[in-house]
Amino acid sequence: MKKKEFIDELKDVLEIEDEDQEITLETNLKDLEEYDSLSVLSIIAMIDKNFGKQIPSSDFSKVTTVSSLIESIGKEHFE
Amino acid sequence: MSVKIVKIEYYLPETIITNNDLEKQFIDWSSEKIEKKIGIKERHIVKEDETALDLALEAGKKILKIYDKDRIDFLLFCTQSPEYYLPSGACILQDRLGLKTNIGALDYNLGCSGFIYGLAMAKSLIISKIATNILLITSETYTKHIHSKDKSNRTIFGDAAAAVIIEKSKNEQIGEFVLGTDGSGYKNLIVPNGGLRNRYDINSKEIDDDSGSLRTDNNLYMNGPEIFNFTIDAVPKVVSETLGKNNTILENLDYVIFHQANKYMNEYLREKINIPKEKFYLNLLHTGNTVSATIPIAIKDALGNKLIKKGDKVLLVGFGVGYSWGGTIVII
Repeated sequence: MKKKEFIDELKDVLEIEDEDQEITLETNLKDLEEYDSLSVLSIIAMIDKNFGKQIPSSDFSKVTTVSSLIESIGKEHFE
Repeated sequence: MSVKIVKIEYYLPETIITNNDLEKQFIDWSSEKIEKKIGIKERHIVKEDETALDLALEAGKKILKIYDKDRIDFLLFCTQSPEYYLPSGACILQDRLGLKTNIGALDYNLGCSGFIYGLAMAKSLIISKIATNILLITSETYTKHIHSKDKSNRTIFGDAAAAVIIEKSKNEQIGEFVLGTDGSGYKNLIVPNGGLRNRYDINSKEIDDDSGSLRTDNNLYMNGPEIFNFTIDAVPKVVSETLGKNNTILENLDYVIFHQANKYMNEYLREKINIPKEKFYLNLLHTGNTVSATIPIAIKDALGNKLIKKGDKVLLVGFGVGYSWGGTIVII
């Protein structure tokens, strides 16, 4: 998957409605208003759907930026 | 010899906590968002002096109004919120329900898989001629264990008891079972203190889970993401294994009832397994997740709402704390 597509998917599952809100690889997910325990469930589902992979919660708690989330999924899944 | 479920009743405690009640208490908690995503609007909870045994007694009384209590010759009682370490709640229930004394009665400790295991045990007891008419009661009060400032768990869980009667039947109406266990996940849904490993500690310190919920080790702890990971892995397998063991396919079933964990998780599992929406029950709106009582409550409500009828083939799947899971197919 292209990183750009992944960011779009993330925006979608986080229900970020503001078109102008920019999410980049450096965005810290924990700083987003939309990021809460419910959106973590959505991200888990999105990752399972797209990569057939489950991220252990211990890795999830270390996730900060979009980039670090990509790393825990595995860089090999991205172009 | 064959078996069937002949009666189902349930009891919900009187006190109701609505989303609006929770919204007043927790900041950044949206009533509307919770209903949309988690599928829960309100949950019934026990009062301070009300226990799982009290709920079980009410559900039991309800079912014995429509079934002769002297016919019951075995009582199975599923709860993780026991009255005492000893004796078994089932023994107290035998007396309070006025059941005969020449019957077997036992407790077993399971959560969201508890109803499936209860059916499996009831079927075996009947087939092995140990019993003929079994009263199975599942009753849970997780809210007793939940910290008042734990917004996630207070949102999800409700209290309830369900009672069913399983009898001998001409045709087989409870199919083959698939049961599973993986205790490596035991710490992900647990009440750490209060047993004999770690005694209840009045000085146990408050832990902030980083998402606005508080608890101590005396309370229920649930690692939501890890439980979701477990279900994503286990549930599709138990569905396909249960279908296989019963020599059938999804298309031949009339309906599917999963343990009602939360709407988001159940919907994701439905999509992943390709279960048509119209065959899949979501029944959390007025009760929340009532642990081992969700499946019998769902069967009763689905019958009441005419979503299923006598003779329908229904896949039942329970999964959760332990980890423990199970599936079977029943004919209503």
